[in-house]
Amino acid sequence: MKFGNKTPALIAKIMMLGALNAFTVWCVPILISNKTWLFAIYFTISTLILDYIFLSKKRIATKYIVPGTILLLMFQVYPAVFTGYVAFTNYSNGHFLDKETAIGVMVSNSFAPVGDSTNYMQVAKDNLNGKTTLIIKNNDGSFGAGTRDAFTPLPVSDVTVNSDGRITKVAGFTTLSDDEVFAILDQFNDFKVPIGDSKFFSVTDINAVELVEQNLSYDATKDQVTDISTGTIYSPNNNGSMISAAGEEIEPGWTTTVGWRNFSKVINDDRYRGPMLQVLAWTFIYAGLVVLSTFFLGFLLALVLNHPRMRSKKIYRTLLIVPYAMPSVLSTLVWAGMFNQDSGIINRVLGSPIPWLSDPWLAKFAVLLVQLWAGTPYMFLICTGAIQSLPSEVIEAAQVDGSSPRQLFSKIKLPLVLMTLAPLLIASYAYNFSNFGAIYLLTGGGPTIISSGGIAGHTDILISYTYKMAFAAGKGNDYGLASAVSFFNFLLVASMSIYSFKKSRTIENMT
Amino acid sequence: MIVNDLVRQKPLTAAQWTKRIAWRHAVGILAVTFALFPLVWMISASFDTIGSLSAQKLIPNHPGLENFRTLLGNPDQPYLTWLKNSVIISSANAILQMFIGATAAYALSRFRFKGRKLTLMTILVVQMFPQLLAATSIFLMLADLGKSIPFLALGQTSALIIVFAGGALGINAWMLKGFYDTIPAEIDESAKVDGASHAQIYFRIILPLARPVLAVITLLSFIGTMNEFLITSVILGGNQKSLTLAVGMQQYIDGQYNAHWGPFAAGALIASVPVMILFLYLQKHVVAGLTAGANKG
Repeated sequence: MKFGNKTPALIAKIMMLGALNAFTVWCVPILISNKTWLFAIYFTISTLILDYIFLSKKRIATKYIVPGTILLLMFQVYPAVFTGYVAFTNYSNGHFLDKETAIGVMVSNSFAPVGDSTNYMQVAKDNLNGKTTLIIKNNDGSFGAGTRDAFTPLPVSDVTVNSDGRITKVAGFTTLSDDEVFAILDQFNDFKVPIGDSKFFSVTDINAVELVEQNLSYDATKDQVTDISTGTIYSPNNNGSMISAAGEEIEPGWTTTVGWRNFSKVINDDRYRGPMLQVLAWTFIYAGLVVLSTFFLGFLLALVLNHPRMRSKKIYRTLLIVPYAMPSVLSTLVWAGMFNQDSGIINRVLGSPIPWLSDPWLAKFAVLLVQLWAGTPYMFLICTGAIQSLPSEVIEAAQVDGSSPRQLFSKIKLPLVLMTLAPLLIASYAYNFSNFGAIYLLTGGGPTIISSGGIAGHTDILISYTYKMAFAAGKGNDYGLASAVSFFNFLLVASMSIYSFKKSRTIENMT
Repeated sequence: MIVNDLVRQKPLTAAQWTKRIAWRHAVGILAVTFALFPLVWMISASFDTIGSLSAQKLIPNHPGLENFRTLLGNPDQPYLTWLKNSVIISSANAILQMFIGATAAYALSRFRFKGRKLTLMTILVVQMFPQLLAATSIFLMLADLGKSIPFLALGQTSALIIVFAGGALGINAWMLKGFYDTIPAEIDESAKVDGASHAQIYFRIILPLARPVLAVITLLSFIGTMNEFLITSVILGGNQKSLTLAVGMQQYIDGQYNAHWGPFAAGALIASVPVMILFLYLQKHVVAGLTAGANKG
């Protein structure tokens, strides 16, 4: 084999490094301007490391590992760590912003129109400094020039008005046509001209402003928001909200750390403790029952369909793994249709409207049955493999010693197969422990546990419970609380992995 | 043993067959019926022009393609766009995951460097914290990042592909390292003597030798991504145009079983058939890949 020309590879390498650096140079300033410090730093350091490694003649091994590791740190390690952080915050629907932004939103939301009339306005450009300026007609017929900073009266003689009443010329300014205004329309979203007494002209149309009054003002030194009309003072509470002495709260709040509150909520609050325990118990039981039932049926089928004199074994095998080959999201949704109470095929065959998916116990049964259907093929496959590789001497020796088929099964075959498959069974348990789709797509976790405030359901497992806490419509989108529960879930799944590594001696075998 | 084999060669009498084999076929047929019924029911529903859950029969009275037309002619829930998205996301993800895993595994198998054992341990530990459980923080992270970097915003397929690529190292590196360890090091050595660089050895010798394993890994990632629901719906959920089939079909049928049953079945059929054919075609390799973990202990 020839290994001569290395130039194309070099060119490819330089181009990829170039693209990477260009990307970083482009996005880091934007990240900084949005105050996303962590990622700005991470992108910069990652790029420097990659440049160094790939331009160096040494560091060969790192060239192969570092790119994947950078992605791993950002999208797998960081989210896990961030989950731990979010669990200690009040991150939720009304608490999504940082404090500064939240107060800005509060104040700008507090502008209310004074009266219900609008004033005629023409957009112009200041010939001196090029600033966009609003030429506004006052109620008394005089004119003024307004910017974001000030409102200055204009002599009537400076303004030329045509017969339709439109301003056509202003001395010292260039008026803009409607098309020109449309082109810069987004400048006017928060364009407010201060005219004193916390009153402003705010743009409502391309030719109109209205008089608005600011109702809230923020004092940064005292860290207080004051209601200008009533004089009520709002101070920050420990949950990231501005709150008055009477307990009145201003929307929106901001994100802040809240200590162990999310955890104590799960443990002490009646709306969460009961459902949480129920969900936790069902998660363990569900995963256990799925592994047991699918293993049992799969093993049985593997034994029955593995007789040396039996024909068409291959056909059975191919047909039996069809459920495993079918995309599980779609097959679970098909099952949900078959279980439909009013018109599903199962109730039509049985001739009575059995509430498969809305009765707590029947829904649990339905979930297990669908997983029995979906999971058996896998168990059948691995059991068939394990049975075929059983040492034949052992079995023959047992036969010679006169053991009955039943003894052969329970004393020899089952223990040997279990020993071989133990790591896979543990892995399967961990998989089912977080098999979101199996639950969510069939029952949506339902039927609802009433004491849970509508969030938890009787078939919910931990992962679907957290999903609903965080993302279900109209349930408060409590990311902080969801992360606290995810944290438990992480601990449980991690301990399962540790157990499985010990069992399979992965670490000892590391070479 | 020899006696046993001789006995087995003798054809069974009808009586013996009934006693020893027939019941096995009975069990097999029963199991196959259970396994195939949902698939058969779905196929029947997709060709039943009545299109409703309550009136569907196993053998349709009026078979036709009406459901397929309804499914494909709905601009609000663009099935073909979903299908395209699914194929793009799954292919990109399958290739990226395979490549990132295969690359790291090469270094872990072939080079002896400081921190190698630590890297192996770290990958193992990171695997204990699957992305799935961190869906909430991935959502919050992208909500933040998307303000600065448009292609990492929520609702973008590119964001989903990159998030999945982040999980790649943890998934495949260990398994592939095990496979590379079985390729004799003499092959690398002789190429080195011929003047090959480490990159040439990797791309032109190791990767081609590992092709069958890589093909299976790529296929399994492809199917896995097709089927991924949680992270996909969290990241793409709000944007009808960028949904995958898994999330799109769930939204399509959700709560509308009677009205959407026929077209849904048609869509499920179109999406399932290629995947199933691929899977059954490669079943031997897939099974070998699945059971690889069992032989460690």
